[in-house]
Amino acid sequence: MTIVAAAPLVLGAAACISFAFRKRLVIVAPFALAAIAAAAGLVLDVPPDSNGTLLDLELRVSPLGQLAALVILGTLLLLVLDVWLDEPAYNFFPTALAVGATALGVLVVTAPLAIFGLLVLGLLVPVGSFTFQIQRNRSVEAATRHFAFVALGGSLGIASLALSQSLPHDQPANTFVLLAVVLVVAFALLLAAIPFHTHAALLAGEVPAAALALYFGVLVPTTFVAFAEILTLSGLLPAIVQVVKVQDLLHGIGLVSAVGGAFLASGAPDLRRLVVYSVISNLGAALVGMATLSGPGIIGAVASVLVTGASASGQLLAAGALERLSAPERPIASRAPLAALAFVVGGFAMIGAPPLLGFPGRFFMELIAYQFAPVTGTALVLATLLLIVGQLRAVISLFGSGAGHWVIERRPIAGIIGGVIFVALLIGGIQPEGFLAPIASFADEFLKAMRPL
Amino acid sequence: MIPLAIIALATLTANGSRQLRYSAVALLGVSLAANFVTAGQLSATELAVEGCGALVACGILYVAARDQTYGEDPGWRLWLATIVAAAATAACFATLRTANAETPSVPLFGEDPTGVTAQVASFWLLSSGVAILVTARTPVRGSLGALLMITGVELLVRLLDAPQLGLTVLLAWLEVVVALAGAFLIVNERAVREA
Repeated sequence: MTIVAAAPLVLGAAACISFAFRKRLVIVAPFALAAIAAAAGLVLDVPPDSNGTLLDLELRVSPLGQLAALVILGTLLLLVLDVWLDEPAYNFFPTALAVGATALGVLVVTAPLAIFGLLVLGLLVPVGSFTFQIQRNRSVEAATRHFAFVALGGSLGIASLALSQSLPHDQPANTFVLLAVVLVVAFALLLAAIPFHTHAALLAGEVPAAALALYFGVLVPTTFVAFAEILTLSGLLPAIVQVVKVQDLLHGIGLVSAVGGAFLASGAPDLRRLVVYSVISNLGAALVGMATLSGPGIIGAVASVLVTGASASGQLLAAGALERLSAPERPIASRAPLAALAFVVGGFAMIGAPPLLGFPGRFFMELIAYQFAPVTGTALVLATLLLIVGQLRAVISLFGSGAGHWVIERRPIAGIIGGVIFVALLIGGIQPEGFLAPIASFADEFLKAMRPL
Repeated sequence: MIPLAIIALATLTANGSRQLRYSAVALLGVSLAANFVTAGQLSATELAVEGCGALVACGILYVAARDQTYGEDPGWRLWLATIVAAAATAACFATLRTANAETPSVPLFGEDPTGVTAQVASFWLLSSGVAILVTARTPVRGSLGALLMITGVELLVRLLDAPQLGLTVLLAWLEVVVALAGAFLIVNERAVREA
């Protein structure tokens, strides 16, 4: 065992310990924060490209892995802080730590099967935090559907990966294509890409906002990065390049998700659904970026997904605070002005508005999409316009009642967290090199894996 | 060949049972037979890890049932799952077979060096799991389908010419977590139903 695995192991151990005293909020919340901070310190302490082994699994800290780990840990820290101070839920803390452990594990393991296994493990962990007030809502049904989608996608994905690794070299190309298609569909299930988004839609309506943020802010970006890493490490890329069908499938699923998600977001009936459909749309655009199999497309896709995760977390926490403080009426800004402001600025990041960090990724994706096919580029621009419409509708709905009697929240945690995320994205947008360089280094590896010597 | 038949029969028993506890016991039978099929490919430690994972997972489902009567009547889903699984297994074996032997030798009992038995068993478990999971109405059959699929995945991974200990530990954990999540949902579903 080496220091490379220290951060996920620390989080895993902390998850087990925190489960033991999960009902003592005064202890478990600071403990979770300390564990996340310690894990962040360990991630920063390991030099990029360090190697190690755990059992017989090879480990490596890639620059992208380090960047994604820090983004994920930062998001987790804010989520834990919010749940502790604003919306206490005792089972959230061990869940968040376990999710962090598996996400960091996904980022350091180099065996595609192990990456996939850890990912499925991480996606199953939040099932416990999805269910609440089970007599009054459909959260059990939502969690059950999520469980089924993850089990189905995870098992089919791991099986197709295992089969592709055991195929003899003289196998017909069609067999590789079939397995790659199953792998892509498995990831579409896990990413809730349209038309496999029904569980995400149900989750959006029924589960607590913090648990939703844990899924869409941490696990969905991790799933996308894992997909890119698995494609790079599995050796399937040369076959995908040779046979265009898989690329077309990826492209098709991406486009349907980008435009379909944006359509659904533009007519979303509430704030949570707006955020969830916006995430699905951005993931679709990122799949299109990846389907171009080009450097800018991959950089744009990964950058966009990481920013989408952070901004979705901020928006979902703000939506939760607005719903809570405005209940039983519809959410309005006068009941929680800071949370409303956080929701609006989170929306800027979600649509990739300059000068925020979401802009470079979206710009790269749309530019390369135009080069790939003008129709694709136009569709992505249309998706962005629809997302803007959706976010504007939310702003009008929140602030439409005018500046009557505004009451600043007594505990403006969601507002402050939204502000922190906005400032981080603004600083990153002004100085994007530090964020984009590790992603560019991963894009190089991806391109090399496409055409091995 | 005999362990393959045990896997098929135990899968049908788990699929057809109206009581979750019987399904859990049948699942354990599936896992034990699957371990027997690939016993030659794994070390004693790896076999022990997989066996423990299966035992704990089935134990969790058994306890989650709380009494002998709780479960879900599969009804027409049993026949649909069986027909789909049989057809899909044959199709998968025809298109995705990776076992190298031209004329695979399938011993009646004992080791299967070509891996044909393991591959057929894994295709059967995966396709049964998909059919059960897709038609499941409650977490009872959802958990059953998920665990069958994980067992099928374990069989496929064992056939790989790669270091196995890490993957074995990971998949055993996955099996336990699937059972835990399934049991949690079963308990909640029951609470909703009984309210």
